Amino acid sequence: MATVAADPPGPGGAAIQGGRRRRPSGEPPPLPRPVAASTRWYLGALLATAVLEGCLAIHPLRRWITAADGRLLTGLARLRGDWSTPAFRALESLGSADSVRVLAWTTIAILLLARRFRHLLTYLAVLLVVVTGTSALAQWSGRMRPAAVAIVGPWHGYSHPAGPVTVLAAVSVGAVNTLIPSGAWRNRATALAAAAVAALAASRLVLGADHPSDTLAALGIGWALSVVAYRWITPDEVFAVRYRRGNAAHLDVTGRRGEAIRRALDQQLGIRAESVEPFGQAGSAGSTPLRIGIRHPDGRPGTLFAKLYALNHLRADRSYKLARMVRYGRLEDEKPFSTVRRLAEYEDHLLRLLRDARLPTPRPYGFVEITPEREYLVVMSFLEQAQELGSRPVTDTEIDGALRIVRQLWRAGVAHRDIKPSNVLLAGGRVWLIDVAFATVRPTPWRQAVDLANMMLTLALVGEPERIYHRALALFTPDDVAEAFAASRGVTVPSQLRGRLRRHGRDLMAEFRRLAPDRPPVAIQLWSLRRVAVTTGMLVAVLAGLAGIYAYTQVAGLL
Amino acid sequence: MKRAAGAALVALATLLPTGCGSASPGLPGCGATERLGLIAQSVPSAGYLPCITALPVGWHSSGLLVESGRTQAELTSDRAAGHPVRVRLSAGCDPGPATALPPRSPGGRSYLLLSSIAPRYSGMLFDVFPGGCVTYRFDFARDRHIALMAELQSAVGLLARRQLRLELRRELGIELGP
Repeated sequence: MATVAADPPGPGGAAIQGGRRRRPSGEPPPLPRPVAASTRWYLGALLATAVLEGCLAIHPLRRWITAADGRLLTGLARLRGDWSTPAFRALESLGSADSVRVLAWTTIAILLLARRFRHLLTYLAVLLVVVTGTSALAQWSGRMRPAAVAIVGPWHGYSHPAGPVTVLAAVSVGAVNTLIPSGAWRNRATALAAAAVAALAASRLVLGADHPSDTLAALGIGWALSVVAYRWITPDEVFAVRYRRGNAAHLDVTGRRGEAIRRALDQQLGIRAESVEPFGQAGSAGSTPLRIGIRHPDGRPGTLFAKLYALNHLRADRSYKLARMVRYGRLEDEKPFSTVRRLAEYEDHLLRLLRDARLPTPRPYGFVEITPEREYLVVMSFLEQAQELGSRPVTDTEIDGALRIVRQLWRAGVAHRDIKPSNVLLAGGRVWLIDVAFATVRPTPWRQAVDLANMMLTLALVGEPERIYHRALALFTPDDVAEAFAASRGVTVPSQLRGRLRRHGRDLMAEFRRLAPDRPPVAIQLWSLRRVAVTTGMLVAVLAGLAGIYAYTQVAGLL
Repeated sequence: MKRAAGAALVALATLLPTGCGSASPGLPGCGATERLGLIAQSVPSAGYLPCITALPVGWHSSGLLVESGRTQAELTSDRAAGHPVRVRLSAGCDPGPATALPPRSPGGRSYLLLSSIAPRYSGMLFDVFPGGCVTYRFDFARDRHIALMAELQSAVGLLARRQLRLELRRELGIELGP
């Protein structure tokens, strides 16, 4: 039997166990933004590189460094010999233009095939910065090649920083950090890349092509700067590299994050979580949905539902709204959220508002901070054994319940904006409305009317339109229904519902329009100055991007 | 991701000109000791090295390429736009049937080889000296060539390798070989 074991007791109830406390000043949040010890070392290496550049700009220090370089190179030149010199020449080919191009284009191709565009853009940007930065530094420094030893083999351009070492390091670090999942395999790949770069650097030193200080600067720029850039722009905790099937929007909730979620729930909401596991991920791309297992003091198990929001979800929301505006026009004020905190606050606020309006929505339990401004968890009750509205034929009671939800939304001055089968659930003999993240308070009037149309279309997937229409007339006037379908068109129907309607075969929207009184279409705002400007800007950006690709490949040395 | 895309595009727009524009460096001045040291390393046998003594008004230098075996750069006058003079230092050259000119370096010889007088004044100028040679490939409009040739020869000087060796030793403690 379907039950709604959803609601653990509220404040003061059994599931709220008094772990709640204020985080004292200075205490780290549940999941501090991790800065690995190695990242600190890389930052130190970057600082050392900057200091080295500063020293080379001061004449007496440059003279001293050059002398020290000369002594080291004289010592290293003793490694040259009949068999070793050809071997070092062979190792030097690791930094050849062909080697770098093969590695770089392979990385770009894999990133394109895997559709990891953020990693791809980061890779291209890092390469561009490293290559142009190295070139600019070389021109500024204007350092000649080592004079203390005879140079064996060809060379090109100024000596500082060592160009081939810089580029091979940047390309290798990029490949490792964008293609290899973190963990043992990435560690092995990093060791392999380090060995290749070290072999190239050592061979060029023995052959007298670079000063040791050129090599140090090259490693600082090509390796340390690249690693820091990838860890900053595409941190593994949020943008993990993975090849298994699944939605990239969903975060891993095991390990440190799982522990942090438990701790945050306990300290901030007084909820003792026994388990934290992914739930219903197939139907969610805007957050990481979770099922939280709890146990009541009397031993009964309980369950809560939670949505984990992180930076990638905030960015996905921005991208979604931008794409929607360019594709469809500004349907209404779909302003993107400025921070993850705002996103979580908004959903929690809407849950409370709808609860106060006595709508059958999950009960809100608040939200917790996992990492300040980066990760928040919105907690609500869990609907046990719930079924989608479109999964079986509906009864008249269920039709009335679903339509009454729209009537209550109207009365509360709210539009849900995402009414579709997966958001209207049947559980415990009642109809429930979930996923209120898209809802708007005081929306445009046509948007409220569209909620009614979408609910009637959802019901019509499993019931006759005539029956739905006549049941609707008990709660709405014929003019209300006419307005709902006069305002509806493809763009106003959520994609899941649109897909189901297409598969259903009948033109249900036309059938409802025939049943309702005639009404001319309601104009919904499709064009705005903002849409024109953004669309034009995006077109210009795409054209500039295409024009820049050729130039980029030239500058970055990829052609 | 859109923000990252935007940032990358901005980076491209900002950085591309530095790589592709006319801001590429040219032949160094005769006082740029270490930069000339690199040119000296490119052709270790060359007894003299080309450098900019003073660029006449309207001239600029760009496209410097220094690598083992050769150095080349371009000199362009605003009165010969699109027709840069290509300056190249190498270990040797063959002036062929060129006409001898007064030498521009002690112990060296200079030649002029014209391939055309009209409608354009084009050809090559050679500075040949022990262990090296500097060639200047020019292509000027006929009516302006006299002034442009004079300016070209005054712009590019030849610095003796032994003088550069002394400067490098004094300034940076570097022993320029051979």
